Amino acid sequence: MEFVNPEGLRLDGRRPMEMRQLRAEIGVVSKADGSAVFEMGNTKVIAAVYGPREVQNRSQQSNDQALVRCEYSMANFSTGDRMRKPKGDRRSTEISMVIRQTMEACILTHLMPRSQIDIFVQVLQADGGTRSACINAATLALADAGIPMTDIVTSCSAGFLNGTPLLDLNYVEDSAGGPDVTVGILPKLDKVTLLQMDSKLQMETFETVMQLATEGCKAVASYIREVLLENTKQLESRRGV
Amino acid sequence: MLQSKSFVKKTKQGKVLKVVREHYLRDDIYCGAPFCKVCDVAAARLDSNASTIIIVDTNVVLHQIDLLENPAVDNVVVLSIVLEEVKNKNLAVYNRLRALCSNTLRRFFVFSNEYHKDTYVKIEPGESPNDRNDRAIRVATQWYQHHIGAAARVLLVTNDRDNKRKAIEGGIPAETVESYAKSLGQPALLDLIVQAPAEDVTMEDAEDLRPSKRKTIYAEHKPMSEITSGMHRGIYHQGKLRVNRYNPFEAYVGSESIGDEIIIYGRTNMNRAFDGDIVAVELLPQDCWKEEKSLAIANDEDDEDDDVHLAPSSADDAPRVSHPSQISIGNKSDMPTRPSGRVIGIIKRNWHTYCGSLEPMPMPAGDGGIAHALFVSKDRRVPKIRIQTRQLGNLLDKRIIVAVDSWDRLSRYPSGHYVRTIGEIGDRDTESEVVLIENDIDARPFSSQVLACLPPLPWSVSAEDIANPIRQDLRHIRVFSVDPPGCRDIDDALHCTFLPSGHFEVGVHIADVTNFLHSGTPLDDEASQRGTSVYLVERRIDMLPKPLTEDICSLRADVERLTFSVIWEMTPEAEIISTRYTKAIVKSCAALSYVEAQARMDDSRMADPLTTDLRNLNKLAKIMRQKRIERGALTLASAEVKFQIDTETHDPLDIGMYQIREANQMIEEFMLAANISVAKKILEHFPPTSLLRRHPTPTNDMLEPLIQTAASVGLSLDVTSSKALADSLDRAVGDDPFFNKLIRILATRCMSQAVYFCSGDLSPPEFYHYGLAAPVYTHFTSPIRRYADVIVHRLLAASLGICRLPDIFQDRPRLTGIADNLNYRHRNAQMASRGSVELHTLIYFRKRPTYTEARILKIRANGFIVFVPKYGIEGPVYLTSRGQKGGGEWIIDEQQQKIKKTNGEVSYGVLQPVRIHMEVVESQPNRPKLELTLVC
Amino acid sequence: MVGLSLGEQTFIKGGIDQDLRTDGRKRLTYRPIFVETGIIPQASGSARVKLGATDVIASVKAELGKPNPSYPDKGKVSIYVDCSPTAEPSFEGRGGEELSTELSSALERCLLGGKSGAGAGIDLSSLCIVRGKVCWDLYIDGLVVSSDGNVLDALGAAIKAALSDTAIPKVQVSANAPSDEQPEVDVSDEEFLQFDTSGVPVIVTLTKVGGHYIVDATTEEESQMSSAVSVSINRLGRICGLTKRGGAGLHPTVILDMISAAKHVSEQLMNKLDSEIAAAEACDEMES
Repeated sequence: MEFVNPEGLRLDGRRPMEMRQLRAEIGVVSKADGSAVFEMGNTKVIAAVYGPREVQNRSQQSNDQALVRCEYSMANFSTGDRMRKPKGDRRSTEISMVIRQTMEACILTHLMPRSQIDIFVQVLQADGGTRSACINAATLALADAGIPMTDIVTSCSAGFLNGTPLLDLNYVEDSAGGPDVTVGILPKLDKVTLLQMDSKLQMETFETVMQLATEGCKAVASYIREVLLENTKQLESRRGV
Repeated sequence: MLQSKSFVKKTKQGKVLKVVREHYLRDDIYCGAPFCKVCDVAAARLDSNASTIIIVDTNVVLHQIDLLENPAVDNVVVLSIVLEEVKNKNLAVYNRLRALCSNTLRRFFVFSNEYHKDTYVKIEPGESPNDRNDRAIRVATQWYQHHIGAAARVLLVTNDRDNKRKAIEGGIPAETVESYAKSLGQPALLDLIVQAPAEDVTMEDAEDLRPSKRKTIYAEHKPMSEITSGMHRGIYHQGKLRVNRYNPFEAYVGSESIGDEIIIYGRTNMNRAFDGDIVAVELLPQDCWKEEKSLAIANDEDDEDDDVHLAPSSADDAPRVSHPSQISIGNKSDMPTRPSGRVIGIIKRNWHTYCGSLEPMPMPAGDGGIAHALFVSKDRRVPKIRIQTRQLGNLLDKRIIVAVDSWDRLSRYPSGHYVRTIGEIGDRDTESEVVLIENDIDARPFSSQVLACLPPLPWSVSAEDIANPIRQDLRHIRVFSVDPPGCRDIDDALHCTFLPSGHFEVGVHIADVTNFLHSGTPLDDEASQRGTSVYLVERRIDMLPKPLTEDICSLRADVERLTFSVIWEMTPEAEIISTRYTKAIVKSCAALSYVEAQARMDDSRMADPLTTDLRNLNKLAKIMRQKRIERGALTLASAEVKFQIDTETHDPLDIGMYQIREANQMIEEFMLAANISVAKKILEHFPPTSLLRRHPTPTNDMLEPLIQTAASVGLSLDVTSSKALADSLDRAVGDDPFFNKLIRILATRCMSQAVYFCSGDLSPPEFYHYGLAAPVYTHFTSPIRRYADVIVHRLLAASLGICRLPDIFQDRPRLTGIADNLNYRHRNAQMASRGSVELHTLIYFRKRPTYTEARILKIRANGFIVFVPKYGIEGPVYLTSRGQKGGGEWIIDEQQQKIKKTNGEVSYGVLQPVRIHMEVVESQPNRPKLELTLVC
Repeated sequence: MVGLSLGEQTFIKGGIDQDLRTDGRKRLTYRPIFVETGIIPQASGSARVKLGATDVIASVKAELGKPNPSYPDKGKVSIYVDCSPTAEPSFEGRGGEELSTELSSALERCLLGGKSGAGAGIDLSSLCIVRGKVCWDLYIDGLVVSSDGNVLDALGAAIKAALSDTAIPKVQVSANAPSDEQPEVDVSDEEFLQFDTSGVPVIVTLTKVGGHYIVDATTEEESQMSSAVSVSINRLGRICGLTKRGGAGLHPTVILDMISAAKHVSEQLMNKLDSEIAAAEACDEMES
């Protein structure tokens, strides 16, 4: 199939190096300590953060750092074909773990010993790049909850189809069977915290694809900073500071 | 880096899956006109002083692609919506349109109207997708009009009346294809236009002035819904229609649903289907299966001649005999087992362009007007095609290309249009091009991207190559090559060293093509597409560019070359002790011809080391050959002919059978051995993804003609196995020395050809190579001229850990696709070679009427078919004039295959020699053909 | 769940007694309701309803299926509710399952009528395509994103809005198919059927706290309830379904009293919801 036409346009009209439209909103779940919606094109996820709070299961309590937990779930209606799977399948468990590890790496857990932070991400719509969207949403929700972090984590994926590196694959492109490189970075520290890839890719090609995904992460980071800044300004004005 | 605007397009796919896709609209899509002040002109494709920019709609592209391909039409804007629609409707036309758009000599520009923020239109409630797309085309045209302004005229070309009306109402200039073509002022362009069916009717009227006489000739095609439900219920069968190459009134549809081939007799039952169409077939009642045949043949309006042609070299070239046993036995109670049927609908057309000439006809009165003519394709499987032309006088003596447009059920012949002229009929260059076109052979020069992949010239072995640990330095070894005289693309060389142990070290060194041909490069893609070099009588069409073919890869004498070598240690009894594979560097000491090699071996005075090597090799080869024959390999024969070509005029000077010498067989033996060794090695390492070559065991049905012919001369052949057949062929010695060879030639043509396949697609017993009696076989020894060998080189290199296996080997369907393409190309190359030989035979005999000896192959009602060994051709000898039943002064017994003069003076039987006269006659102007007559 | 001090509890109860609840509402007043439709483009219909801090999403997906042999001329509808842990950390893992099941069955009872589908808010026979062979199966999925009490009413409203947003493709059945086979169905991608949702009831839950009952209770208020009655009432004021939750027994006259109060409240809610749905759909249309 032709994913990039000779005019250099992808199926949805983007050029190879372009990301889908981003949209983020902070504070969507009012009862949570922090929450956010993050959209990358048609992929839409909600993240809610509860904590830091008392550790629910005492045996897991740690005396020198906070316990970070994460659960990833997909709504039945989030995929084109209705999902009938119960919660906690292997894929969800794996993604939960990936998100927890990625977020744990930037949370200053030593500042909150004997406490627990829960991150819940709920996929409302899946159209490729759910992992990245979840991480971006979780970052925003953690920031909204005021949890101390070394840096924000942002994530984006890139692939390689028709001999062209493509940024931010949507579902159709993702299902093409080509490689899908998901990268998460700490933009300020310029460090990669997450790197996953399926399928095969030549060494040299991998480098350019990863480079592209990293560029995508940086673009997401600048958008997230904008959203956070705007949110803070609103908080300020609401409090009349 | 972000988009301009987001949009959501909802589409439905499959049953109820709702698919939502984003659709970004952009503001960075440019108009493609170099004089534009607003747009980025870097990618502009239109002419800088274009006076008119035309925009075509989908139907214009679909039907008038031949017109668009004419260089007179330029400055065309192709909208992305048009591309998309064309792609969905006809992939072949889409590819041609894409080729136009990327051709730098043409001014075709693709405008992505679907992604442009000003030209994207949303479907309105109640609007059909077709109407929406037409509107999109108009909106884009209008955008161009406003955007370009006074700089150029923007014209919408459409044959859709409604679309044209709406465009004109909206102030958009619009014209039909015909009026646009007229405005270009080249009358010949009008021939390229496909006529609308409405005009077809008037044309029919012109042919026959009494409309009442117009009758339905073909049954109506059933609608698709009925076909689908009929197939569900098992009353219709789907399959690809294959027309018999030698009898265009007989076709076969291979049906999976009944697991057999359905025979279709006669054009009425074929119901307007072409060769290669996917059709739906209904079976005829079983009691009609037999009668249909005689009925169909009686019905056939134009009984075509059996031309003199090159003797077939395999069953794939030979005419099919559907039921020889039945015809000869004529047993009434024996019901035919082969189902016959009729076409009730066409699921997918395989129409393309055809090469041929117009049927000779008198010039109509009033020159310059529109004439109707019948086109006769060179491919006999294609029916005659009716065309309209304004240049009849010009076309009558030309080879032309014609495309099919439609086939009305009221019309005996399909309608088409003229596409282009190749040249004069009978002209050698024209006819050679026809051979290439007919066989889908790409003889174009290599593109600059392909040539860019070549190493810089002059090339020589570098110090790095020598230092490379994977490459063994064999330059000190006495390596030589033996090839036909004048061979420039030498892919193989040999060496033979006597070891102190009393054994021999024998090396087969093959040009290391993959060292230069890397997977995934344009060069590799091109080679993979071409699949093989094509050898015509007067020229060679290379698979790889000339520098690789004749220089860098060719193992010429006295230069250092890179090779991929197979080295055996053999006992003097030709037992292989060990096999070694390595990349190497060799320096050939001599490039011998077969004649030279043979002469050296035969000349007892010569005792130089090279000659000794040759003799040793020959000794080994003879033993190997004997062993192979004991295993059951067949010694087959074919009537290959060789031309001597005048270097100035390229006309054939002499023609004769190609002589096979011991030296040929010696080289062949080692190549076979190398191929078998490599096949084993790669299969062991890559069981599912090896490329092998198999030769299917012929069925008894296929061998039937051979058994019959042999029986009629009192010879019984045992065909139970290849070993039994080989033995009985050995025993078939007649009175004259040529008899055995003749039988072998007949046996060869009963076999189908060997084919390439991907090892994962078949089970190991099916890998068997019947002719060579080898359980596995592949092609390794000619990578310069066959792509299969290139793939095998890569597999072998990977199995030795020399390099990584390219990604393509992970993808079995693609590998199967490559194998299929190789088979197709291989077969076409052979057909083209045969076509070229036939052509040159005709040219040769044009000035040289000849008397010669021929052999009777088969006796027919009005004469017999002969085979002329000296020239490798076969054809009919008529004893009575056509149409006349009975033998006149001859008594012909088809059952017994005997022929006798009424006065009993002369009688002939099958395989008997006869003297004939060969002469080129022109019974119709511009249609020369070879005629064979009996000399008593 | 909600840890409330004794003082807080007294404050809530006292407020209800005086018809002045902690957030300033009267006993029979709803929180502001906010409806958004078409938020899940991949679904046949969808809606999001916010009731104060309660936030739910409902989606409708239509699939072709085979009718139940007992009711060959009716389509099938099923409702599944999922409580996302984003709404409440205790829903994590399988923690939300009990509540999900309770809500699902309550909604099915309130909206779908009995097993036969008689008395359902949706006309099930309109979902039938070929009697006994092909029908539409509607899968209604609810997701609780944020919860601050009265989730059932919010889900009921979201489902009603989602159904009115639902467009089902028109279906062509090939006429000449033999009667013993599954017919070939051709789904149109241009024409859609809309549902008549005027018959879909709204759900009003009355929560008994102390001696009074209130509507649209928050989580804090729900923690103080003795029992609750959910009544689904259609436009004509007919009761379509009824569920009682909570352990404490109720006097039959109190139940009747609660039902009549529910009927009264339902009219206001229905009108409010309809106008919200209409506004949301208009907004949705303008966007696309």
